[in-house]
Amino acid sequence: MAELVGAFAASHGPLIVREWDNVPPEQKTRMTAGFRELGRRLMAAKTDVLIVVSPDHWSNFFLDNYPALCIGVGEVNEGPPEPWMKAFPHREIAGHAGLGRHIAQSALDAGFEPAVSHRLKLDHGICIPLWRMELERLPRVMPILLNSIEPPMPSLERCYQWGTLLRRAIESYREPVRIAILGTGGLSHSIGEKTMGAIYEDFDHETIRHFGGAPERLIDFLNETLAKHGNGSEEVRNWLVAHGAAGGRGFELVDYVPTPKVIVGCGFASWRV
Amino acid sequence: MMRDYWLSKLFFDLQQPALAAEFRADRDAVLARYPLDERVKQAIAEHDAPFLAERTNAYLLRYYFFAVGMKDDEFVRRLNG
Repeated sequence: MAELVGAFAASHGPLIVREWDNVPPEQKTRMTAGFRELGRRLMAAKTDVLIVVSPDHWSNFFLDNYPALCIGVGEVNEGPPEPWMKAFPHREIAGHAGLGRHIAQSALDAGFEPAVSHRLKLDHGICIPLWRMELERLPRVMPILLNSIEPPMPSLERCYQWGTLLRRAIESYREPVRIAILGTGGLSHSIGEKTMGAIYEDFDHETIRHFGGAPERLIDFLNETLAKHGNGSEEVRNWLVAHGAAGGRGFELVDYVPTPKVIVGCGFASWRV
Repeated sequence: MMRDYWLSKLFFDLQQPALAAEFRADRDAVLARYPLDERVKQAIAEHDAPFLAERTNAYLLRYYFFAVGMKDDEFVRRLNG
């Protein structure tokens, strides 16, 4: 049977690549260490398949059809389409079709209605963390694209429930594979709106504190505050999926590095699963 | 939340480097392929970020100003203008 062997979260953001050379040394050192530590834990857990939960930044979906959640069920997905991600070393990334189909079916059986895709472009949201983790070898990557970019978005409660569902689906998968989950994005940032560049450190610290408490309180807190702290903060949904998969327990902050040069309150986290 | 579909489509399409280069060289030729209102075309010509912001997704808006080569500082200044 399959096993959940890890749950992690890490920020992403285009400027982590485009402005990397201009990030002040102390912040660069801590961000590098944060990504590497997650990579180290991922490898130490002997992860065969990494489920990465991230938004689609207008790479696959458009206003014609923007799913709330799409499971990548393909054998292979494409590397990042962004021109400034050209140096990312993988143009194709192996998926896990069997696990993808099993999760999609498990979701439908439980009253969830995901979209599915047999070939996705994995944009910077997925590939920046994979890149910066400096993995010796890339595990298979099963993408889940969760909308935190274009309203209306799934409720925070539902994102947490997706995590619970993923855990159950993983543990009922018959293949002997070791599976980890990585939620990417957040913490606070603001993109393309009047407050662009703002990082809300107090809000981030409060969010982090709530990840250590009761899940209901965390969700209540976020429901009350999220909309006032930058549109990029909506990506905390992906952290909620990881949190749900971990049963709402065992959160550990690896580091929090608010980094104005990349305009993101960069967070790195791991859960005991 | 208002969405101008064709304005958003233009910004989405301009993620392709070849189209972005064509747009920078001959904006009107590219705009002619999209059924945009005259007022929207004018806002594009004037870099009227607040007007455009009301009609599209914030990420797409940011991509657009990046594609036309505007620095983030200038973009944010215009957005708040």
